Amino acid sequence: MKVRANSIGLGLLVLGYIFAVYWVFTRSTPVVSSRPVTIRLAHWQIEKGPPDGVDAIIRRYEELNPRVKVEQVLVPGRVYNQWMRTNLVGGKGVDLIEYGVWLDGLTDIPARYFEPITEAMQRPNPYNRGTPLEKVPWVLTFTDGLLTQRVSAPDPGQFYAATLTEVSVRLFCNRNLLKEITGSTRTPRTFAELRVLFREVTAYANRTGRPIHAMAGARDNATWLLQVLLGGSMMQRSQRNDRHGTLALYNWDALGLYLDGHWSYRSPEIRAGLALMREVSLNMKPGFVQSLRDAATQEFLRGDALFIFAGTWDGTSIRGLADFPIDVLRFPQPTKDDPVMGPYFFGAFADGGGGTAMEFYLNKQSPHQREAIDFLHFMTSVEGSQLFTDHSGWLPATREVRIPPDIVAYKTPLDCYSFGAEYMTIGSSVNAAILRNFYLLTGAQGSVDRFVEAMEAEMPAAVRSDLGKEIANRGIIVRPQDVRIMAAAALSRRSPQDPNLPLARERLESSQTQSEALMLQMSRQLAVAGPAK
Amino acid sequence: MPALIPKLPRWGAAWLGFALPLLAGAGPPADADIAAAWQLMAGSLARDAYTRLDRIPGAPTREQALAQAVVVIDYQPVTPDRLQEAEAVFAELARGQDEIADAAAYLQARLYQVHYQQPDPVRAAALYRALAERHPDSHWAQLGLVKLGLLLLYALPEPAAPAERIAAATALLPRIKETKLQRDLHLQIAHAGTFYEQPLDTVLPHLIEVDRIGGLVGQAPEDLAIELGELSLRAGHYAQARAYFEAYLRDFTPNIRSVTVRRRLEDLAALEAKAQEARR
Repeated sequence: MKVRANSIGLGLLVLGYIFAVYWVFTRSTPVVSSRPVTIRLAHWQIEKGPPDGVDAIIRRYEELNPRVKVEQVLVPGRVYNQWMRTNLVGGKGVDLIEYGVWLDGLTDIPARYFEPITEAMQRPNPYNRGTPLEKVPWVLTFTDGLLTQRVSAPDPGQFYAATLTEVSVRLFCNRNLLKEITGSTRTPRTFAELRVLFREVTAYANRTGRPIHAMAGARDNATWLLQVLLGGSMMQRSQRNDRHGTLALYNWDALGLYLDGHWSYRSPEIRAGLALMREVSLNMKPGFVQSLRDAATQEFLRGDALFIFAGTWDGTSIRGLADFPIDVLRFPQPTKDDPVMGPYFFGAFADGGGGTAMEFYLNKQSPHQREAIDFLHFMTSVEGSQLFTDHSGWLPATREVRIPPDIVAYKTPLDCYSFGAEYMTIGSSVNAAILRNFYLLTGAQGSVDRFVEAMEAEMPAAVRSDLGKEIANRGIIVRPQDVRIMAAAALSRRSPQDPNLPLARERLESSQTQSEALMLQMSRQLAVAGPAK
Repeated sequence: MPALIPKLPRWGAAWLGFALPLLAGAGPPADADIAAAWQLMAGSLARDAYTRLDRIPGAPTREQALAQAVVVIDYQPVTPDRLQEAEAVFAELARGQDEIADAAAYLQARLYQVHYQQPDPVRAAALYRALAERHPDSHWAQLGLVKLGLLLLYALPEPAAPAERIAAATALLPRIKETKLQRDLHLQIAHAGTFYEQPLDTVLPHLIEVDRIGGLVGQAPEDLAIELGELSLRAGHYAQARAYFEAYLRDFTPNIRSVTVRRRLEDLAALEAKAQEARR
C-alpha cells in the first residue's frame, strides 16, 4: 500500500515536471527575448488618441525591424515631472522621452540628459524613401521645420528633438445648446459677437434656471486663453522691442527687456489683454481656478457650458465622449474697432501658430541610441506619421501626410501673426507667479489692477531668477562641449581622411560660441540693467 | 505564441561567457585605449572614458595626459580640486611645441572662462592672448581669439563703452585666418551691436559677412536671414531688405514668421513708394 502511494506521488511529480517544462517552453515569455534590442519611449499624452497612434506606429515598425522591440510607457501628466527627473537622475530613463520647455522646474533637463541629434537632422529620413520627401533633410520634413524646437533648444546651434503632431487651441461648441439658446447654429466670428453671445447665455440661464455658462472653466483652459490674448495684445510692443530684428522675441530676450524697462504688466497693451481675459473669465463657473482641465471637459460634456476653449490635444477625447454634435472654431478675435484691444491692434494673432509638438528627445544614457534614432525616423516618416494621425485623431507634424477631414479645423493656416513671447511662460518663476495670482484677475472680487499690482511686486525677482536659470542651463551645455570639441579634434588627428570629424568639431565650436555669447549677454543684462536688483 | 530561445544563440552565449573574461584580461594596446577614450568623450561618456584611460599601465604619453586632464572637466561631480589638478597638467603640457601644447594652453584659458565656479575673464583673456602671440596660426589660438572676442564684448572691465568693446573685438578679426571662426565672431559682434543699440550700419556688414561665409546650423541661419532683411529695412536699405526677405521666403520652410515677413514686405513697398515720392 505504501509502495503504491509512493508510486502515485512520484508519478504526479513527474507529470507536474513535464507539464512545467512544456509550459516554460511553449507558453511563457522567453528568458531571452527573440528581439535582442528593446527601446522604450515615454510620454504624458494619455488622452484618448495618442496611445493608439503610437501603438500603430510600433506595430508597423516591429514588422519592419524584427530585431527591435518598442515599448510605449504612458505616464500621467500629474506625476510626469517627478517621474522624469527621478529616472534620469538615477540613470534609468527610457530611450526616447517627451519633454516640453514649459514644464515647471525642468529647464535644466535637456542640457543635462538629452543628446543632440543635429547630424541626423541634416540627412534625409531613410523611411521616407519612395515618397516626395525622399531626398529632403529630416529637419525640413516637419511642417514647421522644427521652428518651436529650434527656438527652445538649449543650444542654438543644435537640434534636440523630433515632433509628432501639430497643435493649436480652438473653441469647441455644443451645437445643440447654441441652437437652443440663440435659435441658430451660427457661431461668433469676432470678439464683439462673442460678447453678445455671452449676454444671451446669461439671459438664457437666468430665464431657465439652468446652471449654464458660456465657457467651461478650469485654470488650465483659462491660462491657455490668457497666453493667446497676451501674445495678441502685445504684438505692437513686441515688434517695437525686437532689438535684434528677428521678428520674434525669445524668452531670454523678453526677460532682459523687462529688466531694461521695455515692458511690464503695467503696459497698456498687456492690460488690454488682461481686461479681455477678465471679461471671458466672468462667463465661466465661479471658482474655476481651483479646477484642472478634466473638470472643464466634464462641465462641457454635461451640457453645462456652451463652449470649451481647449487645445486640439483634447479634441479626440471631447469629440469621442460627447453625445451632441460639436463645431470646432477659432477663437473669435477682437478687431481694430474693439473698445479694449483696438488701440493696440496689429492683426489676427496666432492661435496655435502651426508649431509642432509632442517632441521626443534622445536620452544621453540610452544604451541603444542608434535604434532609438531609427525608431524616431520611422515615427516621423510619412508612413509613421500617417499611422499616428489616422489612429489618434491628432494632426501630423510631417509634411505630405493626408489630414482626415474631421480634424482639418485644427490646422492653423498661415494667416496670423506671432512674435514668439506670450509674456507668460517666459520662465518658470514668472509662470508660477501668474498662476499664484490668477485668481486676482478672474475672481468675482478681482480686477486687472489687483492682478497687475500683485504681479509687479513679484516680477523683478522672478525675472532675475529666470534669467539666472537661463544662464545656468547654458553653462551646463557649454562646459562639456569643451570635452567633445577636444575629442573631435583628437579623432580627426587620428583619422585625417574622415571628412565628418572636422565638420563635427567646427559645428560644435560654432554652437558653443553662440551659447556662450548668449550667457555673457544675459549676465551683462543681469549685472547692469533693471530697476530691481 | 512567443518564440523559443533558438539553440544557436544559447550556445553562443555560453561560449561568450567563457571567452569574454579571457579576452578582457588580454588588454588592448594603450594607443587603442586612448583612441577609444576620445571616442567615448565625443559621445559625452566622460565616466567611461575616465575608466578606460585609468586602466592604461605605465607612464602616460603627452596625448594620454591631455586626455586624462580633459576628461576631468566633465567627470561628475566636477570639483575645484580636480579642476586645479587638470590645470596643472594643462600648464605643464602647454610648455611643449606641438599641437597638444596649444590645445592644453587653450584649455587652461577655458578653465578660467567657464569651468571654475568663479570665472576670471581677465586671466582667461591673458591666456588666450599669450597663446595667440606664441602660435598665432594654431587652430586653438584662432579659436581662443573668438573666445577673447566674447570676453571683450561683454565680460572684461575694459574697455567699458559699448562702441569701444565692439571696436576691440572687431580688431581681432584680421588675426583670425580660419573663415568659419571669423564667421562666428562676426555674428557675435553683430549681436552685441544690436544688444548695445549701436548704429545699424555698423552691425549690418558683420551679418552680411556671416551670410557670405555660410554654414551655420540650427536656428541661427533662419534668424540671420530675417535679421538681414529687417535691419536693412530699418536702416533704410530697401533694395537690400527686399532681397534678403525674398531669399528667406524662398529658402526656408514656411512658418508663422513668414506671415510677418510678408507684412514687412508690404511695409517696405509703402516705404519705397514714399521715398520715390520724396525724390520727385
